[in-house]
Amino acid sequence: MLRAENLTKRYRQGDKEVVALEGFTYAFPKGATAVVGPSGSGKTTLLNLLAGFDLPTEGGVFLDETPLHRLSEDERAGVRLRHMGFVFQQWNLIPTLTALENVAFPLLLSGWPRGKRLKRAAELLEQVGLAHRLHHLPSRLSGGEQQRVALARALALDPLILFADEPTGNLDAESREQVAALLFAQGKARTLILVTHDLELAQRAGRILYLKGGRLLREEVLEVPQGQHL
Amino acid sequence: MEVFALVLRNLMARPVRSLLTLLGVLVATSSMVLFLSFGEGLRRALFQELSRVGPAIQVVPEGTEGFGFSPSPEITPETFQALSQAGKALGVRAVIPTLLLTRGGFDPNTSFFFQGLPPGVAPDLLYPGVKAREGRLLPSEKGAVVGGKVAKRHGLSLGSSLRLSPKVTLKVEGLLEEAGGLADNLIFVPLPVLQEVLGTRNFSAVLVALNPGQKAEEVARALERAVPGVKAQTASEVMRFAERALRISDLVRFGISLVALTVGGLLVANTVMMSVYERIREFGVMRALGARRGFIFRLVLLEALLLALMGGLLGLGVGSLASSAINLYTLDQVGLALSAVTARLSLFALGIALLLGLTAGLLPAYNASRIPVVEALGRV
Repeated sequence: MLRAENLTKRYRQGDKEVVALEGFTYAFPKGATAVVGPSGSGKTTLLNLLAGFDLPTEGGVFLDETPLHRLSEDERAGVRLRHMGFVFQQWNLIPTLTALENVAFPLLLSGWPRGKRLKRAAELLEQVGLAHRLHHLPSRLSGGEQQRVALARALALDPLILFADEPTGNLDAESREQVAALLFAQGKARTLILVTHDLELAQRAGRILYLKGGRLLREEVLEVPQGQHL
Repeated sequence: MEVFALVLRNLMARPVRSLLTLLGVLVATSSMVLFLSFGEGLRRALFQELSRVGPAIQVVPEGTEGFGFSPSPEITPETFQALSQAGKALGVRAVIPTLLLTRGGFDPNTSFFFQGLPPGVAPDLLYPGVKAREGRLLPSEKGAVVGGKVAKRHGLSLGSSLRLSPKVTLKVEGLLEEAGGLADNLIFVPLPVLQEVLGTRNFSAVLVALNPGQKAEEVARALERAVPGVKAQTASEVMRFAERALRISDLVRFGISLVALTVGGLLVANTVMMSVYERIREFGVMRALGARRGFIFRLVLLEALLLALMGGLLGLGVGSLASSAINLYTLDQVGLALSAVTARLSLFALGIALLLGLTAGLLPAYNASRIPVVEALGRV
């Protein structure tokens, strides 16, 4: 389980101190949790800290009993590789690698042999409906297709935690629906942390955390069966 | 797969920039190969020449090193007599005085090199394997035997006149076959004639031929002990001296090529640095996905090394072609291949190219591996 304890992040901007997140404490259960809030509410900062991209000024992040905030950069990278998957708003595929190679990339970092990792990557791309796009470069794929490749890449090592930061923000209605369906389907068996502006999308998650001014305002647990999310 | 593909495809993604960088490394490496090939060529030519020279020992005035043919002949007839007697006592095969005279400058097309030999001594005693193509091998008192290249260059044939001084003119009595050595460029004349032209009774050097089983080093030291004021050099001593001189000249030529190498290195560094700045987000994504710093470091360094290696290989090829072209000219002019791209030079050039890539890639690789993930992803 991923939990945050008194998570606080402050930046200095010239002489001024900016509080991006303050006293955030929460234990993320299995299933989908959406984090919503207006711009500047601390959503991105929260995700940066939970994923170990950045370190908190105070408080800590724990994956089970492992304190992520006490690990070195490389150790945090190792934790991300083994236990976390990421879907970003900008897709962030490696432009010089094909869809297949992009999905196989985390497996390469994990030391999988070539044959096994290409097989696994092809299976994942088939799951997201891109079996016919294996050897296409990202520049030859539509936004929805790129986001599905990113999702397949995030699932490559079957992570415990899946982070999605505005995953449908740049997509048209049809692609948005496809990606959301795939994402929530994958979120059932793991912890899905969905950061979004989109309340409609957030309401398809089991829980919604409302942030404002860097603070957690409230948690809303929706009594909607998971099946209805699909 | 992906790592190498990533490096290669990134280079291919910016073809013009990669090509220009490659050309920079190519020019740097090929110029270094060409500069250093002269040292290798001279080494090879020298070794071949020394192995062709018959007499194992060359006696020159003390204080002279290397080939020892000083501009003014300094070995007196008395010294020669003493050397002859010492040689007899040591049981050597022959003690041959010789005298050299050059006419003209450094341009082989306008220069003549005369070597005086005592009566009865034919050129093949000094240069085994030398054969007469036309006429005689042993010149008479007023005759000369001409090396193949000299004859061709200056249009000399049997009966041609060679004017050594206003009073001395010799007739060409023999033409040698071209054997691809020093003898091709020499004109062999009677020693007394050259002494008359130079107005001296002295000699440039005394050559000592050994009998089978005699050790050159031991005989040389014995001659030095027996005749004060002379230096008896064996072929290996001449080679050692030449090696020292060539090493110094190698350093000078390498120093000159360092300028081109530095420019090539800066080009690689610039290309890789630009590439790193353009791909900050990509590196951020890799780090976010779990790549360690070392992975990014190796990725960028590999890019610099690959550029340098490809440029180095192409440079080696171009340098070898240029070296061959130069040899075509020098073989035609002086009968010697003065440039050589040897295996050790090739390895050295590739090593330097890789070192160039390594040096040029270190800083960009370090920078790329140190970019904070949040900054690289634009998530600040």
